[in-house]
Parts: sequence; C-alpha cells; structure tokens
Amino acid sequence: MPPMKSLPVIQDHAAPRPPGHRSLWQSVEELEARSSASRGEFAAGASEVPPEMSRRSFMQILGASAALGGLAACQPPREKIVPFVHEPPEDRPGKRFHYATALALDGYATGLLVGSADGRPVKVEGNPAHPTSQGASSTWDQGALLDLYDPARARGYSRAGNPLSWRGLLAEIQKLARGHEVDGGARLAFLLAPDASPTQAGLVRQIRARFPKARVHAWAPVTEENAAEGARIAFGRPLDVQPSLEQARAILSLDADFLSGQGDSLRLTREFARRRDPAGEMSRLYVAEPAMTITGASADHRFRMRGSEVAAFARAVAAHLGVVPVAPALSPELSRAAKAVAADLAANRGRSIVLAGVRQPPAVHALAHAVNAALGNVGATVRYSRPVLSDAPSSSALPALAKEIEGGKIDTLVITAWNPVHASPAAIDLGALLARVPNALYLSLREDETSRRCSWKVAQSHPFESWGDARSRDGVASLVQPLIAPLYESTTALDLLAAFVDAGDRGALRHVKGHWAATSGLDPVSFEAQWERWLRQGIIPGTAEPAETPAVDVAGVAAALGRLPGAKGEGLELELAPSYGLFDGRFANNAWLQELPDPITKVSWDNAAYVSEATAKALGVEGGQVVTLSIGKRSVQAPVMVMPGHADDAVTLAIGYGRTDGSAVSKGVGVNAYPLRDAGAWFAPGLAVAAGKGRHKFAVAQGHFAMEGRPLALDFSAKEWKHDQGGGELDHLRGMPATAQVPVDYSKQECSWGMAVDLSKCTGCNACVIACQEENNIATVGKEQVAKGRIMHWIRTDRYFSGPAASPETITQPVMCQQCETAPCEYVCPVNATVHSDEGLNEMVYNRCVGTRYCSNNCPYKVRRFNFLNWRPEVPDVETLLFNPDVTVRSRGVMEKCTYCVQRIEGARIDARTGGKKIGFVQTACQQSCPAEAIVFGNLNDPKSRVKQLHEDARRYDLLHELGTRPRTAYLVKIRNPNPDLA
Amino acid sequence: MTPPAQAAAEREALAPMPLIAGHPTDAQLNTELLAPIFSPNQTWKILVGLAAMGTGMLVIGLTVTIARGIGMWGNNQPVGWAYDIINFVWWIGIGHAGTLISAILLLFQQKWRTSINRFAEAMTIFAVMQAAMFPLVHTGRPWFAIYWLFPYPNTMGIWPNFKSPLIWDVFAVSTYFTISLLFWYLGLIPDLATLRDTATRKAQRIAYGIFALGWKGSSRHWQHYRVGYLILAGISTPLVLSVHSIVSFDFAVSQLPGWHTTIFPPYFVAGAVFGGFAMVLTLIIPARAVFRFQNVVTDRHLENMAKVMLVTSMIVSYGYLLENFMAWYSGNPYEAFLFFKTRPFGHYAGIYWMMLFCNVVVPQTFWWKKARTSVAWLWIASILVGIGMWAERFVIIVISLYRDFLPSSWGIYAPTWVDWFIFLGTMCFFSLLFLLFLRFVPAVAIAEVKELNHEIQHEKAHAGGHP
Repeated sequence: MPPMKSLPVIQDHAAPRPPGHRSLWQSVEELEARSSASRGEFAAGASEVPPEMSRRSFMQILGASAALGGLAACQPPREKIVPFVHEPPEDRPGKRFHYATALALDGYATGLLVGSADGRPVKVEGNPAHPTSQGASSTWDQGALLDLYDPARARGYSRAGNPLSWRGLLAEIQKLARGHEVDGGARLAFLLAPDASPTQAGLVRQIRARFPKARVHAWAPVTEENAAEGARIAFGRPLDVQPSLEQARAILSLDADFLSGQGDSLRLTREFARRRDPAGEMSRLYVAEPAMTITGASADHRFRMRGSEVAAFARAVAAHLGVVPVAPALSPELSRAAKAVAADLAANRGRSIVLAGVRQPPAVHALAHAVNAALGNVGATVRYSRPVLSDAPSSSALPALAKEIEGGKIDTLVITAWNPVHASPAAIDLGALLARVPNALYLSLREDETSRRCSWKVAQSHPFESWGDARSRDGVASLVQPLIAPLYESTTALDLLAAFVDAGDRGALRHVKGHWAATSGLDPVSFEAQWERWLRQGIIPGTAEPAETPAVDVAGVAAALGRLPGAKGEGLELELAPSYGLFDGRFANNAWLQELPDPITKVSWDNAAYVSEATAKALGVEGGQVVTLSIGKRSVQAPVMVMPGHADDAVTLAIGYGRTDGSAVSKGVGVNAYPLRDAGAWFAPGLAVAAGKGRHKFAVAQGHFAMEGRPLALDFSAKEWKHDQGGGELDHLRGMPATAQVPVDYSKQECSWGMAVDLSKCTGCNACVIACQEENNIATVGKEQVAKGRIMHWIRTDRYFSGPAASPETITQPVMCQQCETAPCEYVCPVNATVHSDEGLNEMVYNRCVGTRYCSNNCPYKVRRFNFLNWRPEVPDVETLLFNPDVTVRSRGVMEKCTYCVQRIEGARIDARTGGKKIGFVQTACQQSCPAEAIVFGNLNDPKSRVKQLHEDARRYDLLHELGTRPRTAYLVKIRNPNPDLA
Repeated sequence: MTPPAQAAAEREALAPMPLIAGHPTDAQLNTELLAPIFSPNQTWKILVGLAAMGTGMLVIGLTVTIARGIGMWGNNQPVGWAYDIINFVWWIGIGHAGTLISAILLLFQQKWRTSINRFAEAMTIFAVMQAAMFPLVHTGRPWFAIYWLFPYPNTMGIWPNFKSPLIWDVFAVSTYFTISLLFWYLGLIPDLATLRDTATRKAQRIAYGIFALGWKGSSRHWQHYRVGYLILAGISTPLVLSVHSIVSFDFAVSQLPGWHTTIFPPYFVAGAVFGGFAMVLTLIIPARAVFRFQNVVTDRHLENMAKVMLVTSMIVSYGYLLENFMAWYSGNPYEAFLFFKTRPFGHYAGIYWMMLFCNVVVPQTFWWKKARTSVAWLWIASILVGIGMWAERFVIIVISLYRDFLPSSWGIYAPTWVDWFIFLGTMCFFSLLFLLFLRFVPAVAIAEVKELNHEIQHEKAHAGGHP
C-alpha cells in the first residue's frame, strides 16, 4: 500500500460534489486498489501536454482546468455506486451479498450471482433462476474473477502513445465521427466481438444509420458460423439449435463437445447428467470425434475418426435411417457402428438427437437437422429459434477487412473483438496491416498483440465493472450490473460505440435502461420497479426466443453433402481445437485457467500435438519430442503427446497458446496454432510432421492413467447393474469395517457433514476445481512447480483409462479430502494441527501447522497440499481484493486441504444462531458450481437430506474402504449404458 | 590340563589375535595415544581444511532451505519425505554402533571394546548431531517446530499430540543424545586428566584441567567413576533398542504399504547396528593408519566388527525376506504391488538392487576369515554397507511414497542441489567434528587400554601358574 493512501479520501470529501462527478468509493479496499494503481496525481491525460499545443487549445485546457477543478472530471457521468447512508440491519462487515449479473462468452450469456464481500466481488456462482446456468458455472465464468483483479489489465486511453482522458477520448472520437459522417462512413469499419446485447444492437443500428457505408463485422476465433450455414442449407435461413437432453434417450454427437463449457453446455450437462442415473431411464451417448473430449470421455460408445471423416460417418448413419440415399464406404467396424447407432436412434424416435459440432462443415450440421427432423425430434429434443447474436460472426471478416486495408480503403477501424492479430488466419498479417490504418481503435481488457499495433488503445472495463445487457442462447435477456466501480480508468463497448453516435457521455446504464424502458413500454415509475426486479432476478422474463418449426430442404442437404470434399484416405490431418483452459486464448492471462489441468491429458500450462499411439509409432516420435508441424509453407514446432483414444493419422493441436505478448502468465506458454489455421478452418489435410531432436518437459498433473486393477473409480454397464440390483459386488466396499476401536457416535450431533459424488454424472469438466480455487484462496504455482508435483488444487478430477489405448474407456473421479472419521492424517501430526470436529469434519489448523508433511504421507488419498514455497511472495495490492475474507491465506511451510468449505458451514451456523433457527442448507463451492449435480453435500443426520439418501444408495461405495478410514465422502459407481449390439 | 590353563587355551583359540600388540608400558601407551594431540599431523590439517569447506555446503544448504522453504528440495506430492528423513534415519542408525560398543559390550564384559569404544562413542554423538538437525529443518516452519514439538505449558493450553510418532522421536532422540554425551564425557574424564598432566603448554593444561573436573585418580574417584559409568551403560543399553525402534515407528504406525510393517523395530535396530559398525570400520581403518595406533586397534578388533556385521546383515536380510513374504502372504494388493513391482522393477529399481547387493551379498564374504582380516576389503565393504543402508532408507521412504494407493497421485522424485549440499554437508560436518575430536581428545580410551594392558600382561605372567 502506498503511504499516502488516505489522501484521495480527504480530497474527495473536501471537494464540492456537483452532479456528474466521479463515482464514490464503496469500500476501503476498492479505494486502495484505485489509489495503489500506478495513476499519477491527475487523471489519465489531464497532466500531459497534448501533442500539438496551439495557443487556442492551451487556453481551452486552462479554462477547462479552472472550470472542472473541483470535479474529478475525466469520466463520463458514470453511474454512481454510493454507500449506504443508513446501513441496513442485516449488513455487517464480512457479510456476503450476491448480485445477479451475466457474463457473455462470444455473445452467449450465462446468468451469474456474484458474491460480494465488503464491496468487492469474491465469488462467482451460477444464477439458479437463469435457464442457462441453473446455478452452475463453468471454469471460465469462475475464472472471470481473476481477470477482474489482474494487475496486468489495461488502464486508460491513449492515442499514438499519448494518454487521453475520457473526455479527451470522447472529443477525439466525436471529431473522427464527424469526419466519417461526410462520406457516410465509407472509410470506417468495425470489428466487433460477437454480441447479443439488445442495447448494443440498438447502438449498432444507430451507427449504421449515421454511417450507412461503414462496414460492421462480427468476428471471433471460434464461431458457430458452420452451424448457421448448416441451418441455412437445411431451413433456408440461419437458426439457432436449442437441444434439450432431458428427454433424449439416444444421443449422437458428431464431433460436438456439448459438455465442454462453451455455449449452452451448463444446461446440457445438467440435462445429460440427469439421464445418467440407472434409477431412471438412462440415455445412451455416441460420440464420433478425433481427439478425446470430455464429451467423448463421457460417451457410452466413442468412435474415433479424423475430423474430416465425421461427415462420412454421419452420412452412413443417415443412410441407414433413410434420410440420404447413398452410404459412403466405411471401415467394417465403423459401418457396423453406424448401423447400430442408426437403429438405436430409430428406436428412440422423438427421444433421440443428433448434434453436430462447431468444427464440422455446414453440410454435417444440415444433415443433423435433416436426421432430427426425420426422427421426429424437432419440438421434442431439439428446438429451433432465431439467432440471438445481433450480427452473425464470420471468419471471412478478417480476410475481407485485410483486403480493404490493403486497398487503403479504411481510415478508422474500431476493434472490440478479442485480439485479432494473434488469432488471425495464417494468410493475413493483420499486425502489419493495422499499422497502415491511420486510426485503429482497440478496446481490450489487457495489452496484447493487437493493442501494440493499434494507434488508439482503449482500456475495457471488466463485465463485473460494467452496466450492460446480454442474452443467453435461448434468448433470455439478463442485465449486466457492476459489482464494483472500475478498478482502472476504462470503458465498455457500449460506451465506445455510443461515442460514435455522439452519445458516449451518457453512460452505459442510461443506454441500457433507455433500451429496456422503451422495450417494456411501461411508465417511468412502474418501469423503475420492474427494473429493480429484473436486476434482482438476473433475467428479464418473456425474452426467450420462441421456437420455430422450419421445414427441412432434404434435397438441399443432400446437395450440400455431395459438395463436401471426400475425406482424404492418406496423409496426416491437422485438427485444431479450442483449449479447455484458455478457450481461444483469451484466458491466457488467467493463471487459474493456465494451471488447470486439461481434463483428458492432465497437462497444465501447455498445449501439445496430440497423436494416437499408432500414429506416434508410425511417425517414429514419442511423448515430449518436439516436432515440426507444417502445412504447405507454414509450420510450427510443437511437442508431441500421445493421447489415448486419439484418431490415427491425425494430430490435434489446441489453439489459444503461444502468446507472444501479454503478461508473464501468458507469454511463451505453449505453442501458437493459429499460424497453421486458415480462416475459420478446423481441419487441415496434408500435414507434414518432421521429428525434431528437442525435448519438451510437460507439467502433467496426473501422469499415470491406469487404475492398476484397484477398485478406485468403479463402473458397471447398465446391464450388469440391473442384473443383480446393486447387491453383492459393492458390499466389501462399504459399511463399517471391522475394528477393535469403538467408533465415535455422531448421531447425537445436530449435524454430521457428508458428501456424495456420483461418478455416473461427473463429466470431468473441472468447474469444481476452479470454484474451489476461488472460494478457498488456493494459490497457483506455475509450470515448473506443477511439473515437480506441487500443484495446490484441493479438489482434483482423477481420470483413468481402461481397455486398449487406442479406444479406451474413460472415467473421471473428483477427489477431495474424504473427511475420514478415522483419519490417518490426524494421529500422526505431532502438533495437533489437524483434528476432528464433533460434526465429523477433519479440520486443519493452519496457524498450528509446522509442516512435517507426515499427514500427507499418511493420507491414502493424497489430497493434502503443502506450501513448499511462498507461492505468493508479492501479491499486487489489487490481487489482495480477490481473497475470500472467510478463508485464511496460507503461507509457506503449511499444509492445507479441503475442509468441505467449513467457512460456509460456519457462516450458515452463525446465520442460524442469530436467526434462532436450525442450521439449514449449506452448499460447498464445488457442489454449487457443478453443472452435472454430481457433487452433493449435506447433513447426514438429516434423514431427508439428499446426501443421506445418496449415502444409502445402492451404488454407494467408499474409496479405499478396506483401509478403514470411514470416509465421509461416498462415491456412487458410474453406470455405462452401452449398446448391446455393439458389445 | 588344569582348568585355568584350559580356559587360557580356549581363550587363545577363540581370540587368536592379540587385543594389544606387543608389550607396551604405560608410558609408551601415553606417548603413542597422545601423539595426535601433542604432535599435529600434516594429513590432519589438510583433512580438516577439506571438511570445513564441505561444512560450508551444509551451511549454504540449510540457509537456502530456511530462507526459501522446503520447495528448494525435491520433495513434492506425494513424496513428502525424501533426503531429509533418509539422512535422519541413516545418521541416527550410524549413531547406534557407538552405544552398542560402549554400553552393551561393557555390560557383557567384552574386552575388545576397549580400544574402539571412545571412537565409537564420539561417532555416535557426532552422528546423532547430524541426525537431530533433520527433524527440525525438514519442517515447513522450523521456527515454530523448535519449541512446539516439546510439551511446555502455554497459555493456549495446547500440548503436542502424544499419539504422533514424531513426538516420540523428539523424546527418543534427545534422550539418546544426552545420555550418549554424558557417557562419552564421563569416560573421557580420566584421559582428560592424563592430558592435563602430560600437557606442556599452560593453555592446554588449563583447558584440559577444566574439563577434567579435578580428577586425581584416587581410589574414591575411580570407585565413583566406575559406578557412574556402569549406571550410564545400564541406561544406554535399552536406548540402543528403543531409539531405533521409535524411529521405525515413524513408518510402522502409518498405513502406507512398505511402511506399515510390524517387523520394523527389530529390523531397524539390526540395520542401525549394521550400518553403525560399518561406519566405525570406515573411520577407524584410515584413522589408525594415520595416527599409527595399529597396536591397540588391532586386526582382531576389525575382525570382530566384521563378525557383528555379518550377524546384523543376516537379521536385516531376514527382515527383507519377511517383508516380501508378508506382502505375498497377506494378500494385500497394494503391498504386493510395492514389493513385487515397484521395488524390483520400478523407476528406482537400481537403488533397490544396490541395497540388496550391499546389505545382503557383500557381508556374506565375512564367512571367510580372509575377508575379515583383509583391511582393504573390510574398508571397501564397510563403505558399501554404508551406501547400502542409505539405499535401504531410500527404498523404504521414497519408493513407498511415490507409488501409493491412488495411481492418480503418483509422482516422481528427484533431489535438487540443495538436497545434495545438505547430505554431503552433513558428512563433511561429521568429518570435521571427528577430526577435531581426534586432534583434541584421546581417540582411544587410554586409561582403559592401560587397564586392559595390565590385565593381559598379568594373565600372561600368571598363565598356568596361578590357581
């Protein structure tokens, strides 16, 4: 903290407060974060000499300084976040308040509740009322919090390196806009991030009206344009697909990683998981894909094939269903599979679904629509609705833009899309081109490859600092409300776009409110009440897109399929894929997501060229060997990793890595795959792999894939399971083990905490890992330390393969502290630093721990984590805001571990006591985030609690039961539902 | 033959080599055994210089560890203990031979102990000093561990966890060190007096005079001395068994396959004696050559030690055998995996096989007298056994930890330079202490050797004639 941190407060209070002044502080932390930022005494741009100082402008500035002297004037009349005058009685220091907001990824929003402690957001949860999230949240939603407090965030505005104030920026943009107005915006272009915000759509409409000749492109590295094009082929117009898996009994995924975290995956995961309980009617999932994804890992049958071969497989299935006439020739194994899949789909008419992935060509999407229509699934398991994105993002935006820049046709380019320089296709050197655009304006959360090339840099506010609105995939609109005033001088896309229609000084809130006031048609008073209600609920009712019932143009689909290039039989194919941690690279600065092990290969801080074992052998390469991947003249060097279940003759490389610019977190991690990518392409034939001599050391969080025949993560096929009704085979893995000790009786306690993890539901998506990291102030340690085996995650998703390496069966098992009733860690601690609570928790007393690590050695689950070094030698002031105030921040030399979120239990207890009630519903962070509802926590002494029921479930077993640790975490065996015809 | 003559003959047969070569007088013994103290040796100076430099490594290693944290070592998840505890157990094991030789052999009236007991006791103390360092510095927060591990009344009302073997360790090791130190010092007193009386320089006379505690060699002194020495020997004897039993509990009371073994206490004690005798041989063979007291530390001493090593090696081998048998017989799949897959064929298989070679195969040569009396082979074998015993602790600690119950948490361990600095540094520090010991106090118990000398000469003079 700087020594003079109290000064701004004094100034703030001393200064007169005319309307429209800078926002007030909500909390001391917030204030400290601001004052500790490397801001000068004056707001950005206020104390710098403008580049061309005329006498006139000097007088203007002088006059303005005098007039605005009392204001902290260099911001638009932003919405004030004011402290309470009278504290509400329920407010107290440390009390957590949750605010509903929404976070959009490439335009598709997830409804969130963000927990705020003492005025700073500290935890992201899903909004249970929101249809997309239903209370769950993805790794990326959770990770957004770290982005908020990233000290490497961009601050302020500048033009050609000269800082600008907000007013200055607005004035400059105004000038610019006037210039462009003359020719109708013929030399003006926008490259926008895909967005579904109705308010932004309105602004874009205004921009188009003012600059009729301006080009507005929407662009992102990962788009669903193939799906849109597929819908256009099948239905004659682009429509969004709304799958519903709740009723689906047979699911065929054509390279669709629908559980991955993108798009609607939280809802789909929940619906999918609900059908994985053998107590009900189970669904059956078939996946055809090149590299193993978490969807493929959750499949009952996974068919590995190169990305370009999926179309042929889909056609074969469709041919068996009579949707298309001719079936292409497939390998005997695959044609048998296609036949069985088709039979299963046909047997579940109206209760089956075919999903096509974003990487598949439009024709495959069209075919999926045709098959769904033929199977009568439309309206049952799949609905269609108008696209919610305002402008359909297109990968052709960049080539088109590049051509125009080359032709010198663009003077002003406004970029709100994420980092096009880094993610531009190989053929375009956008970086060099941007230098030729006189006014390239880039709105970004961080300095990156693109901001270096742009003459105007505009710092973007984090969504948690911004007003706005967003729509989820089904069209439901949510309001985006700020949790905290911007930590740094920054603005939003809404404000920036508004500046082009001379409305930049109105502030995003007024734009959003104005839009919804107009839409609602209510009078101002009742709108205000309605607005408050919307803000509280997090959704605006009645905004969902209505379902449409389009007719399929079967002939058009067949024609499109006919135009598909046949899969090349020979040669290697490159498969690009979004990364589970970094997506398209936008999360590369996020240490949580960098460190998060890949759900399949468990690699952290890296991407790799994944190949199958057979391909590795054929190429004469082995894991860790650096190879040169080249397509034509373009090549990148990447280390090889053998991935079980990968398609042969194919190499998968995740995009999003290999950043050349950015913070220390992102720079130089992994390999940049974009140079191998053509605009919008995912699969590239003609890949050449040259074995190199270099070796690369991966940081793998779980190096061993096999269970070694031990009964750890158990699975049964549905048939076996039904056969003996859950009796017998699990009996030796549950119940009270024989012991000479008299067991402690916990039944008299009010609460006795326990957990149940349903392996049938878990997809291994890792949302729990990041949620736990966020909730419990868990440190990241960096690649080198992960490689040394010092990763700190309290909950990990163990992933085991069984069967042949070419096509293994996968099972994931979240493992956290099992809270053993007879905990091996407790009796060996020499200083009583880990002890048992009377509610059955295995508690860790950080203050008392001297760090002998004996507890960890004696823990059979190895869930304890040791602070081998001081993982946080210097925490930037702003990052201290991130810490959950209810959880100790551990220092070096101390052991730590999962505590079943004891701070939440105690919080609930305090609330119960002050309210004179019994302790009620407590959720752990992992449970809350889990989209599959695989983790259930609760009171085992409450016979009605869900966890108690699950502990008595026929599928329940204890991990390492024979050791007699009597874990409080129970596992429910995974039930697979394979097709008997494919057995 | 008369019974005494028969007894003498039997003794002759059992003890074919003399315990003291020649017929030295007291004065000769004085001069010879005090020579290292009064006439410094050039080799000694070089060795001290080297050891002091090596001790610098220890200082650097510990400084880095305390300043930065345990992360400077190779320890990780799941290998929470590695070189730290390996070195601890190894050094504490070495510390066993000293007390065994001094106390147990004294109680059993084994005369051959006389020439080597001082030496072995000093080794014990210095080894325990090395060992005692590790329980403290291996903790994440030694600044707390240094007193939180002791039961002291405090305002928080927190006691150590008496169920934890680490607490037992604290008591066992600190008791052992205290008793060993007292035992050693008490034995030194008559010799310190000799030094005081023989010293020519005033400073030496004063220094040795202080430590000699006014010893005059009166009968009364000798009587008290004898009683005290015997009592301490009596106290030390159970400690030899208890200390390493308790160290073995660090592992045996846990539930890790490879640690959770009931044979550990005796097997650890035997291993400690085995390794300790090896270390005595490793040190005394060059020392007696450098300081030229081959006539009091004779080949017979060396041979006897080889015999002890052979016996203890076989106890240790039996331990290995039984561990493997139990792994098979118990039907415990985790144990079977460890003993039949991880140890012999895993990542560290080389260390496992080295352990078997050094601890099981090498001592078998001691069935042959030729091997027992070959000083060169004894020295090489003793070093191999030292390595083997270190490897044994590596096998127990690291190999059990890196492949435990859940394959998902399996890891790999590799020591860092800090680990090596600390390990080699303790060896150098040990050597430094030892060299200083050789230089400043009599390495051979002069008074006891004189007494033995008198006894032997007396027996010889009266052999056959004295009923």
